[in-house]
Amino acid sequence: MVNSVIAGLTSGGVYALLGLCVVLTYRLVAVVNFTMAAVGAMGAFVMVSLTDAGVSAWLALPVGVAAGAALSAALGAVLVRWFGGHGQNTKAAVSVALYVALMAVGLRLFGSTTTGAHSFPRPFDAPVFSAGSVVVPQSALVSLAFAVLITAGVGLVLHRTRVGLRLQALSEQPSTAQVVGIAAPRLALVVWVVIGAVTTLVILLVAPRLGGDFSTLGKLINTALAVAMLGAFRSLPLTLAGGLVLGCLEGLSAAVEAVQQYQGVVPFLVIVVLLWWRSRHEVWDTAHSR
Amino acid sequence: MSVPALSLKDVSIKRADVPVVHGVSLDVEPASVTVLLGANGAGKTTLMDGIAGLARTGGGTVELDGHRVDKLPTYRRAQAGLAYVEQARTVFRTLTVEQNLLVSQTGDRGPEAAYRLFPELDKRRTLQAGSLSGGEQQMLVLGRALVSGPQTVLIDEMSAGLAPVVVRRLMRAVTDLVELGIAVLLIEQFAHLALEIGSRAYVLRKGRVAFEGACADLRDDSARLHAAYFGTAQPHGGPGPADRPRPDAAESERP
Ligand SMILES: Nc1ncnc2c1ncn2[C@@H]1O[C@H](COP(=O)(O)OP(=O)(O)OP(=O)(O)O)[C@@H](O)[C@H]1O
Ligand SMILES: [Mg+2]
Repeated sequence: MVNSVIAGLTSGGVYALLGLCVVLTYRLVAVVNFTMAAVGAMGAFVMVSLTDAGVSAWLALPVGVAAGAALSAALGAVLVRWFGGHGQNTKAAVSVALYVALMAVGLRLFGSTTTGAHSFPRPFDAPVFSAGSVVVPQSALVSLAFAVLITAGVGLVLHRTRVGLRLQALSEQPSTAQVVGIAAPRLALVVWVVIGAVTTLVILLVAPRLGGDFSTLGKLINTALAVAMLGAFRSLPLTLAGGLVLGCLEGLSAAVEAVQQYQGVVPFLVIVVLLWWRSRHEVWDTAHSR
Repeated sequence: MSVPALSLKDVSIKRADVPVVHGVSLDVEPASVTVLLGANGAGKTTLMDGIAGLARTGGGTVELDGHRVDKLPTYRRAQAGLAYVEQARTVFRTLTVEQNLLVSQTGDRGPEAAYRLFPELDKRRTLQAGSLSGGEQQMLVLGRALVSGPQTVLIDEMSAGLAPVVVRRLMRAVTDLVELGIAVLLIEQFAHLALEIGSRAYVLRKGRVAFEGACADLRDDSARLHAAYFGTAQPHGGPGPADRPRPDAAESERP
């Protein structure tokens, strides 16, 4: 039981990280980014393809991360250049289309669920410590620490650095931000690059646990969007908490026999209830502006 | 004569495919206030949006300090020395006063320059800009413009909805900008206040320049001002008090 919850924490940290990336993309460049997990999976598969071919992991890792970052930047450039003047709905729709295309290309390149499971490196499988039957694997701590680090780090950058202030200004009032001389397209591209790199790392972290096929990893975007929703597409700490809670619930429902077969549904039920509870006093239109 | 800080030649601008500004030419000299007047919907804001790059100009040229900028994106024009105080009092509401200033700072002129211009803001440094009064927000927008180190500042109706005493305070700040060598293009609903501090004036009517000359000429001749605004020779009873930008609207008429 406790072990399942701890295993859930590993996923929880990952869910939180993915949710954070969705929230940040939404806040900073105003795109609900459906492509994110697929982009990270692309980067991750570039890396395993290299290690499969005998390249050392220390070389393959930066190449994979750079590939994820570059792909993300390319998609960002498409959205900035051709859809910069369009509303959020259009951009979200474009990102869904890109997601579908990426999944098709990814499946073609890297194989499907049955044929394409790669063995990802598992650097964090060793237990940190075990007390009785309770085992805490390194991966749980690493994903937790990564999630907390990113949440705090992003908060610090946004509030304490000139670039962060400019990003906030851009997020609040894009046109006025440009009026005061903020180079919006370049800043947006930086955001896309960073999101692509971080997502690739996160996908690499979770890939060994999920079996390591492209389709499963790309579809993590569903969970990421759910977590982002828990943070109302705005609050970083709430998103972090949401991801962790979701992970633990998933672990818990795997352990309790009565609900085991509904494992996939339980977290989403909880999300619906939480969202309903939180928005009980809100008027949807006004409360959910960016 | 020196190169104008800002020079428009034959600029036309459409809004949602409807032509709004037609072939406007205008010069703004360094270290002076140039006043841009005109009735509601004459196209003043549209013209400024075109200068700043927020609206696309079709035909004609816009030069800053002798360099063409009409093909540049908005932020590049800002970096080239143009600041724009927009009509809607556009502070970054979630940032503090100081952060608003830091965001636009490009050179050595930091937030302190804005606090010198408006000591009122000094005490408010750490407050969120969204919590300031309308007058303070307008001061912040002006201060933010100053901190960006501009050669030319466009100001669009900064006095809208503000108390007379605040309006006069803002007008004084505009003359302070001029003393720093900055060129100002000023849209102002209280025409007489603008004409007091301005040297040249342009009046737009239906997107065209209907009058161009010295501010002094309009200041002392309200019939002429009225003619330039509305294209009629004589001021008459008019369509009533809702007709907002009366050229001779007096600040004393405001509460
Ligand atoms: N975004 C827009 N889309 C379509 N038409 C617009 C837009 N903005 C302004 N217009 C039209 O362009 C014309 C000029 O508007 P503009 O705001 O430039 O006038 P103005 O001189 O600034 O008026 P005011 O004194 O009310 O500020 C008006 O007829 C207006 O209806
Ligand atoms: Mg206007």
